[in-house]
Amino acid sequence: MPGLRRLYAPQRVAVRTDPRGTPATVEGQEVETVREEWLVEDRWWTSKPLRRHYFELALGDGRALTVFRTARGQRWYRQRA
Amino acid sequence: MYVELHAHSAFSFLDGASTPLELAAGAAAQGYPAFALTDHDGVWGSMEFAHACKGFGVRAITGAELTVELRPAGPVSDSGLSLPGGSSESSPPAGGTAHLTLLVESEAGYRNLCRLLTLAHAHTRDNTTRSQTQPGATLEQVEEHAKGLVCLSGCARDGVAAGAFERGDTAGGERVARRLLEVFGRDRFRVELQRPYWRRDRARNRWLALLAERLAVPCVATGNIHSHDRSRAPLQDALVAIGRCETLEESEPYRRGNSTSALTSPAAMTARFVEYPEAVAETERLAERLRFDLTEQLGYRYPGSEDADADTELARVCNHHFGRRYAGSARLLEAQWRLEEELAIIRKLGLSGFFLLHRDLLELAREVAAEVRGPESARNVLPPGRGRGSSVSSIVCYLTGLSHVDPVEADLFAGRFLNEETTTLPDIDLDFPRDIREVLIPRVHERWGADRSALVAAFPTYRPKGAVRDLGKTLGLPPAEIDRVAKTVGFHERTAAEIERDLVASLGPERAKEPRWRVLLELADEIMGLPRHSSQHPGGMVISTRPLIDVCPVVPAAMKGRQTVQWDKDSCADAGFLKIDLLGLGMLSAVERCVEEIGRARGERLDLSRIPLDDEETFESIRAAETTGVFQIESRAQMQMLPRTQPRDLDDLIVQVALVRPGPIQGGAIHPYIERRKHLREDPGYKVPYPHPLLEPVLEETLGTIVFQEQVIESAMALAGFSSSEAEGLRRAMSRKRSEEAIQEHHRRFLAGAAANGVSEEVAERVWNQIKGFSGYGFPKAHSAAFGLLSYQSAWLRIHYGPEFLCSLLNEQPMGFYPPDSLVHEAQRRGIRVAPPDANRSRVLCHVETPREEGDVRGGLVVRIGLGYVKGVKKEEMEALVAERERGGPYEGIAELASRSGVGLPSLERLAWAGALDGIPVGSEEDRRQALWQVGVTGAGRVTGSSTQLALPMEPPAPPELEPLGDWGKLIADYRSTGMTVEKHPMKLLRPGLDPKLVRSSDLARLDHGATIEIAGMVTARQRPETANGITFMLLEDERGSVNLIVPPSVYERHRPLVRTAPLLRARGRLERREGVVNIVVSDLAPLERTAPPQQKKPNQEARKHAIAELRAVTPAGHAFGRRGR
Repeated sequence: MPGLRRLYAPQRVAVRTDPRGTPATVEGQEVETVREEWLVEDRWWTSKPLRRHYFELALGDGRALTVFRTARGQRWYRQRA
Repeated sequence: MYVELHAHSAFSFLDGASTPLELAAGAAAQGYPAFALTDHDGVWGSMEFAHACKGFGVRAITGAELTVELRPAGPVSDSGLSLPGGSSESSPPAGGTAHLTLLVESEAGYRNLCRLLTLAHAHTRDNTTRSQTQPGATLEQVEEHAKGLVCLSGCARDGVAAGAFERGDTAGGERVARRLLEVFGRDRFRVELQRPYWRRDRARNRWLALLAERLAVPCVATGNIHSHDRSRAPLQDALVAIGRCETLEESEPYRRGNSTSALTSPAAMTARFVEYPEAVAETERLAERLRFDLTEQLGYRYPGSEDADADTELARVCNHHFGRRYAGSARLLEAQWRLEEELAIIRKLGLSGFFLLHRDLLELAREVAAEVRGPESARNVLPPGRGRGSSVSSIVCYLTGLSHVDPVEADLFAGRFLNEETTTLPDIDLDFPRDIREVLIPRVHERWGADRSALVAAFPTYRPKGAVRDLGKTLGLPPAEIDRVAKTVGFHERTAAEIERDLVASLGPERAKEPRWRVLLELADEIMGLPRHSSQHPGGMVISTRPLIDVCPVVPAAMKGRQTVQWDKDSCADAGFLKIDLLGLGMLSAVERCVEEIGRARGERLDLSRIPLDDEETFESIRAAETTGVFQIESRAQMQMLPRTQPRDLDDLIVQVALVRPGPIQGGAIHPYIERRKHLREDPGYKVPYPHPLLEPVLEETLGTIVFQEQVIESAMALAGFSSSEAEGLRRAMSRKRSEEAIQEHHRRFLAGAAANGVSEEVAERVWNQIKGFSGYGFPKAHSAAFGLLSYQSAWLRIHYGPEFLCSLLNEQPMGFYPPDSLVHEAQRRGIRVAPPDANRSRVLCHVETPREEGDVRGGLVVRIGLGYVKGVKKEEMEALVAERERGGPYEGIAELASRSGVGLPSLERLAWAGALDGIPVGSEEDRRQALWQVGVTGAGRVTGSSTQLALPMEPPAPPELEPLGDWGKLIADYRSTGMTVEKHPMKLLRPGLDPKLVRSSDLARLDHGATIEIAGMVTARQRPETANGITFMLLEDERGSVNLIVPPSVYERHRPLVRTAPLLRARGRLERREGVVNIVVSDLAPLERTAPPQQKKPNQEARKHAIAELRAVTPAGHAFGRRGR
């Protein structure tokens, strides 16, 4: 419906990864540490299966951030946790 | 190197998605040197896993993931655990539960694991419905059984430590861990780390590692494997949802969330725990210590196996009975020689105790039988049970009472049952009437001790129908669609493609494309064959000298007083358990009931062992295939064959019983046997052709064909010079778990042996093909002899005591090939009178009564349908109704009946609908509507507010003028309330409105072979045997009799739902008549439609419109048999 938008919808984000596929920078900001890393594979029985690789990060500027990569398209999103 | 110490198979019911065999093969393929199976609260799959691993060169570690109860009801100590003093028999789980991983280090550890698992299950069926609840042991019980076990702190979600962290109770988690450390010591307690790729993995593992440091014990990494391959992850999700009776969406919090709990390589697991290399190294160190081998160290012995006097005692028992059984016999010497030979083999194999144990069991059965039957019963002359299977061929079994067939007289060959090369315990199967068996099983537990005897488990596995239903529900598919597809899916479908065909047939190609139905097909393919839950084997029992709970956990069964071990018959056989099969045989119960009913109704005490075995009238009926209700020869296939084989005596019948089996059918025995019998009838001098003269003595009684299982052995011995153990090896190679390599090896030796005997290669190959076709799917002659005798006895009773026989079949349902409705119609066509349920005449069960007025009725007796046949009535109420009537005389009014008997309104209404209250008060117009009106006005037993209205013996005023129910209304009410009608056949009522071109079953006799006809009727049986190349057989019943329909595959494909489910059909086809057997080869099928309404006194528009639909909804579905005959 026009005019409405989902709250907390994931937003595209620019992520550079190290050779193992772990985020090294997010929007140019260095990743200080990966606090958690988890996988969600769900809704495989529907036409919109969900496959996301999540990272909970602490950035160099002190911000905490949760990002995920989709299996399809290998795109990165940030999500409000 | 990483070793897996925590894995679940499909025996973690509805959690693991792979079989133990798949896990073992997967572990071998990934290069694991050792692998632990730790199913939830059980070792159900451990024996299978241990043997499979052995085959793959992987060392199996035995263990289980035990559910522990942390806060049972009652005082709780400051450690948060239940207080000591809760003994092994303490209260059932009542509070929070958590998981522990237990691994077996030594024999003592295995014993403790079995005892703990037994305790965990002890209270799982304490509720009134005996439905299974969550198992759970207390920590005190774990403490008492810790020796020899290694304890890991449990899984990431529910482990005693990790689970506490997840709940935010780190202090509680640490307290439990410290307690376990005290119990198991630093050597045998480890903190378990897992990496399931969940959100809090790192935090949890950091805390667990710190905890381990504080406790000064190592961490150990585990994978918590739930499938052998990633591709099974969706199925694992679906299983969790099925287990919770939820859809996949609803079960989200309980599912694993991703596919990382699938088996992966040791290298990948090492990488997963890169931050904890010591925890990985600890897996290998622990595995090195866990060297208990389930395949070698079980330590089981059966009672009597160590009895030094057993040999003498068995010989004494046999000799004692020998004199009585064989005195004056022409074959005395032969019998003596056989007895000595068998006793020598038994002594050599050390099996005397085994036979004595069976004899003891039979003595126990004799006591039980006397109790169950009562002192006055006419059944007392009958033995308590009978042997079946190959044990009937043993003279020792005959003399110890385990079999009722004289093997010398019947020329039975004991080689298969007992030979010197036997390495496993022989099988003795005993058949009992159902009522005796019900009492005997708990009595066995009493006799040998509840801790030393138990039933064998069985694991119902997923088949297509259940797969469609369970998976459909979890996928959230519409229930009506699931139902339609499940009803269309056949027994034989095994692959997704076959189920898809059914899906398209029932929902149409468009709907079948829906993504969720596609997913269902994929999952169904994988779920088939996986165990769904544990259950009990029909009658297999294991008995042990030492407590069984030291060798296998024992759990309560769904039936009160029964318990099962956690292993099925294959695992029990692998464990070398002595297994006794106490089987309930419906026909044996029916025959006993019949003898009892004859005694009651006619005052005759019938001794079935003394009836003439050459009764001409009985054999005439068998030859004419008038065998509805007769044991083993009532099936459609048998009825087709009887007029062609023309059995003349018991020996013929014994062959007949064995003939319609997959072995003889696929081995090509049927047609030659029928042809040769025909030749012999026409020309007694006819020379039976044998494949080779060497086979004449072996195949003489079956006219040169292989019919009995032992003829395979004997043919191989006679033609190719096989030793008895070589021949037995051949039979095993061809049995269910067949091995192509082994068969090839036997083939080579068979040809070589035959050539050495001067048999041409062509003949040898021909015989080999017969043997191979037979494949072991046949009866041994001994089994056939036992069954053939019961066939004859039941046929004899059917002829000479027709009403009692029908009555006993009705009371023993479900059994046999035909639904009660068909049994009644067939008996009525033979002139047996059957009367409907009547509150003033019926008992709870059906019984035989003297008619009110004498008529032309065989035996002068009437079968009265019991009140228990009325669906939905309470058994106790019916018992009270009958008891009160016998005490105080007939009921003269409905209010009086309600008041005197205390029967409540719901049962009264059902009785009224079934017509059981017609004619009360005596002399009233017999109509169900009036009775129903009176029941309603009386208001007996109606619940008002919180109390039940008292039934006062005040008769209500006369009912208003109500339209009588009419024939059609009665018919519908009959089917709805009892599943049968004893009045007019539905086809008789429908006939006037049907197309006059339709023929009746009685017309077939005068129609020409090859004529094209159309016929209509009710489907009473449908069968699609595996051996019939896709042909479906159906029995169609009309008001005059039954007719066989043969539905070729092409017609079946066109009309699949009709063939599978329609109760009323119209069939078009070609009449085929061969040697007195008539069949209709169907070319087209249609649902039965009427052109006019059934005749009624006052036609009712609604009834007219819905007549057929109404009947369709209430008629019995007809028995459907998919795999019969195996």
